Amino acid sequence: MKMAWKEMKKNKLRYTILGLIVFLISLLTFIISGLANGLSQDNASLIKNLPDGTFYLEEEADETYSFSSLSDQQQQEIAEEQPATAFFSIQMGNFIDSSDKQRSVAYVSASDSTYFQEVHSGEVILDASLEEEGIAVGDEITNEQWDQSLTVAGFVDQEKYSHSPAAFINPNDFQALFHTDTMQIAFIADSAIKNTDDAPVFKGLQAFSNNEFLNTIPSYSAEQMSLNMIVIFLLVISGMLFAIFFYMINVQKLGIYGILKAIGVKTGKLFQMMWAQMFIISVVSLILSISISQAFQLLAPNGMPFHLTWETTGLLSLVFVIIGFIGATLSGIQIKRVEPIQAIQQGEM
Amino acid sequence: MSLFTMDNVRKTFAHGEVKEEILKGINISLSQGKITALTGASGSGKSTLLTIAAGLQTASDGQISFEQQELTSMRSEELRQIRAKDFGFIFQFAHLVPFLTVQEQLDLMLDTAESPLSKQTQKKEIKQVLELVGMWKRKDAYPASLSGGEKQRVAVARAIIHSPKVLFADEPTASLDSKRSQEVMKLIQNLSKERHITVLMVTHDMDMLDFVDEVIEMRDGKIVDKKNT
Repeated sequence: MKMAWKEMKKNKLRYTILGLIVFLISLLTFIISGLANGLSQDNASLIKNLPDGTFYLEEEADETYSFSSLSDQQQQEIAEEQPATAFFSIQMGNFIDSSDKQRSVAYVSASDSTYFQEVHSGEVILDASLEEEGIAVGDEITNEQWDQSLTVAGFVDQEKYSHSPAAFINPNDFQALFHTDTMQIAFIADSAIKNTDDAPVFKGLQAFSNNEFLNTIPSYSAEQMSLNMIVIFLLVISGMLFAIFFYMINVQKLGIYGILKAIGVKTGKLFQMMWAQMFIISVVSLILSISISQAFQLLAPNGMPFHLTWETTGLLSLVFVIIGFIGATLSGIQIKRVEPIQAIQQGEM
Repeated sequence: MSLFTMDNVRKTFAHGEVKEEILKGINISLSQGKITALTGASGSGKSTLLTIAAGLQTASDGQISFEQQELTSMRSEELRQIRAKDFGFIFQFAHLVPFLTVQEQLDLMLDTAESPLSKQTQKKEIKQVLELVGMWKRKDAYPASLSGGEKQRVAVARAIIHSPKVLFADEPTASLDSKRSQEVMKLIQNLSKERHITVLMVTHDMDMLDFVDEVIEMRDGKIVDKKNT
């Protein structure tokens, strides 16, 4: 460690350049990961906020919730077998607020208040993003196709669906506004399943895990796959960067390594020196990029869907260090191969 | 009794299908505290012999013993431990580690030799050795700021700091002018006498033979003459 640090101090420019590149790549990774997370929240926090469980859609709906329709009889059969089942429907739509401005929302109506907002008839509970846009408790909202208006009864944090704020309404109002008396989706939390360890199977219904259900949301998987692919590429690039950089440095230092091996320094110690340098560079670069990405999270404009959790940051940082370790180790194979005699015969370094 | 012996050592290099025998049955015996010089024309095999003796390359045949231990049959890790603890090396060029100060070069060697001395004693030992080679005042200098003679003196200090039993020196004065060469040889001679270090040294400089106890002359991979000075 001491030798590693001494060498870095003596060759500040060389290691600063590597650190700077790792910092920029890791910062970009954190920012894109934050955007991926933010967009994911913006797209599906309504579903992501639910506990682990199983979602059911009508088999004929072809994995599209808006085509699914669970009849009263089906609902009754499911509820008899699994009383803790929540039935809910989602309908994309809009409303006109008290200042005559049209707003896009995802109307949500649920039979159960354990996982969804309980709303009285004639009232609506909105996602808090609409409060930030000027809507207040007590405001009346309406729609050209409705014969009634709804009163804003409150706001909830982070309840969005398909990039629109959620608007929780009573099932009776949902029936009246959208002229339907069926529910689209059934949900049973794993912790509430009765009489069986696995998710129950119902005839005519298709079961989805939380992640599978998220992927039925239009654009969700395409959006997430694109961003995650960029993150994976950046991680791979950082690993290659470490491998190439240490390869070049090691080639320059083969003479020194040979002499050190000649005087009896263990090959393992030379590897430890390289790993220590990789670790110092990674940690310093990551501390800087984590600080800046967290500051960015605080300062990012409200409209920007950016959400970077400490869990994601920690996981990405760990992956960075592991990939850096692999990259450096691969490049270090030359250290193992170098023969002391070659270095001695090469002359002064 | 001999500290270090080489018995019928041979070294053959293969260039494609052509084999070239560089060492043709070498027998050497080194006694404790004596300086032995290997001399001979270029290509006579003296440097190859030195590096094989020092465990830096393997012999094709023959036996090499150090303190009754057979080096030729040792695993590479055992050989490394002997190189680190019992052998010292001075190369034709100083080959110092460029990012370590003079003092740290010696510190690294003690660390590599797994010196049993306490840190405090190690510091005293480093000071004593650096004073011996006249480099204590330059203890915090990096190799880049040292002259050729100074570098070689540090290389000598690094080679003896861990009190090796055998010191291998490959033309230690080749990169120095005659004044510096005399200084370095005087230093090696004094250290050998004071610390009872056995020295096997390659040299082509006849002036350096004044400082050695025995001269072995080589020609075409064979020993052609041995004489005490």
